[in-house]
Amino acid sequence: MTLKRKMVGLFLFGVIMIALAACSSDDENTDENTIQVWTMSDGLGDFVTEYEEETGMNVEVQAIPWDNAHDKLVTAVASGKGPDVLQIGTTWIAEFAEAGTFLDLTDYVDDYENLGAEHFFDSAVASTKFEGQTIGIPWYVDTRALFYRTDVLAEVGYPEGPSTWDEMIEASEKLAARGEGQYAIDLPDDDPQFPFILAWQQGWDYEMDKQAANFEKSSLRDAVALHHLFYDKGYSQLGEGKEFFQAFSDGSKPMFFSGPWDIRTIQERAPEIEGDWSIRVMPSAENNHSMMGGAHLTVFHNSQKKEQALDFINWMADPDTQIKWYEFFSELPANEEAWEDPVLADNEMVMTFGEQLEATQPLPLIPQYERIGGELLDTLEKINRGGEDIDEALEEFISQADSILNR
Amino acid sequence: MNNFKTKMTPFLFIGPAVAILLLFAFLPIIVALVISFTDTNLVGLANYSEINFIGIRNYINLLSDGNFLQSIGNTFFYVIIGVPLSVGSSFLIAVLLHLVGSWLASTFRVIYYVPSVTNIVAIAVVWGFLYNQEYGLFNYLLSLVDIGRIPWLEDPFVAKLSLILLAVWKSNGVSMLIFLAALQSIPRSYYEAADIDGANRWQKLRYITIPSMSFATFFVTITTLIGWMQFFEEPFVMTDGGPLNGTNSIALFIYQEGFQYSEFGYGAAASFILFAFIIIATLIQFKFRNKDQSL
Repeated sequence: MTLKRKMVGLFLFGVIMIALAACSSDDENTDENTIQVWTMSDGLGDFVTEYEEETGMNVEVQAIPWDNAHDKLVTAVASGKGPDVLQIGTTWIAEFAEAGTFLDLTDYVDDYENLGAEHFFDSAVASTKFEGQTIGIPWYVDTRALFYRTDVLAEVGYPEGPSTWDEMIEASEKLAARGEGQYAIDLPDDDPQFPFILAWQQGWDYEMDKQAANFEKSSLRDAVALHHLFYDKGYSQLGEGKEFFQAFSDGSKPMFFSGPWDIRTIQERAPEIEGDWSIRVMPSAENNHSMMGGAHLTVFHNSQKKEQALDFINWMADPDTQIKWYEFFSELPANEEAWEDPVLADNEMVMTFGEQLEATQPLPLIPQYERIGGELLDTLEKINRGGEDIDEALEEFISQADSILNR
Repeated sequence: MNNFKTKMTPFLFIGPAVAILLLFAFLPIIVALVISFTDTNLVGLANYSEINFIGIRNYINLLSDGNFLQSIGNTFFYVIIGVPLSVGSSFLIAVLLHLVGSWLASTFRVIYYVPSVTNIVAIAVVWGFLYNQEYGLFNYLLSLVDIGRIPWLEDPFVAKLSLILLAVWKSNGVSMLIFLAALQSIPRSYYEAADIDGANRWQKLRYITIPSMSFATFFVTITTLIGWMQFFEEPFVMTDGGPLNGTNSIALFIYQEGFQYSEFGYGAAASFILFAFIIIATLIQFKFRNKDQSL
């Protein structure tokens, strides 16, 4: 090998190494007027141009799909390199807050016009509190309500939909008796929030100091038994079955629980049933509580631009911004004042969600929440599909919950 | 000096490869081994001082974890059914392709290889439709011959078989190519000699083709076996381990623990058990092969 060739080789090697180094080095933004925002809402990037024009700030938005968000956040926590503003789903708060991901905002909220607790739904604010800290500001909220076919339900005597679980069972019996392949309601079997919603309605609540003993309450057993009833009697279909919106459209599954995003989905996927479906608040047992879901905006713990980040969050929490965000993306404002705007107030379906939001509970704020929710879903599957005895399966679940909480 | 240079030259050449191997293969294994003896979770990741050394408690917990034991059982089921099936079918495809004319062979080579290069998510969507219990193509075809609906992905046992079928279909292409290459490297003179001796087709296959391909078969069997022990993508995209944990594999269990629930220590311990299984299975095969050659 001649010297010249060696030089060329060395040069190429150097170029590659520099390129690799360039890829790996995070472009540390020292620019005062630039903040980085991580969001799971695709579209925020275009939405913030108005803020940029107003303030002269530069907002770099990185949209992460929900499926990858958890991994991405874990990486950010591990490396200590995160954005300035970070969106977080309500179910992940405790887990990441425990790891010290977020800046405690308690001392800052009063300095900004829109960040005070009085502006938001109580349960939404409750879900931003972790061990005495305020780790975020509510951005948008979501909850679950009952979607139903008015025409199909009218045939069995409930044109307004069932308002209690007793009525629900009675209606379901008639609906399922319509024949082969006819069901009453589609229950979400992969939504870890759903079993908790059922339990709250039976009067259950998660008390921090009781830990796994919470799951020994008879109200939880009532909820599980109620859930099982629907599969046992054939009111709900085990397994996937037909494409869901097709089943909703042909009336074979005339009810389901879901969130506000499905208003648009039904309008798009099943336009032929326009006018024949509606939404109502949850049927009640002890109460008709639903969950308080949604997302908060938080500041990453080691952000160098707290002021700018908070100013941006303050803008996002403004009622006007919140209404605009709703108009663009159908996500419900966390700011209660925004609900008085005619855009929301005149929309009956959305107002049903507004009404449901008044009867919500935050999910248990424990770091192991996802894990326990998953175990509870597995337990329900064992009972409904595997035919296990309710009490035995619950006993097993309680011992698992105990070991998860004390790990 | 010159002598020293000559001695060092080989090291210089293998140096980069060894360095990369150490950095990206051995170092992570050692780190994982260390993590498997700790209670590392998300909190520990953010603040190393929160990590505690807990000895072999992760391993003890794993052995009493019903889900883990079930996923070991499932994985062995996948391996025992899947490995012979995929090695056998790709061998058969290769032999048949070798028999037919070149135009037909090259066309079908592409057809059989396409699943291997297709994105697993796209495959999952299409096969999800095929397996759909209500209006999937498979159940429709069965209904034509008056066979009732099969719960392809809804029953824990049937779902395992469905995933095996999908995985065999997907993995055939690569093994088939290796077998085809081995087939083409068998000297024609062997067959000519056999023709002169009056051997029939079956005898040629039995006494020339199969023995000449023993190394290819060995290689394919090992890689297939390791692949099946790490069975992950298919249950991940198709069933997420369900129903009733019936399709969960060890690799998927590790993913769930490590990345969904952030129990890194626990997940690392599970991955070491899988690692041990793979090493043992591979050693057994090497043993068999050594015996084979000494005969």
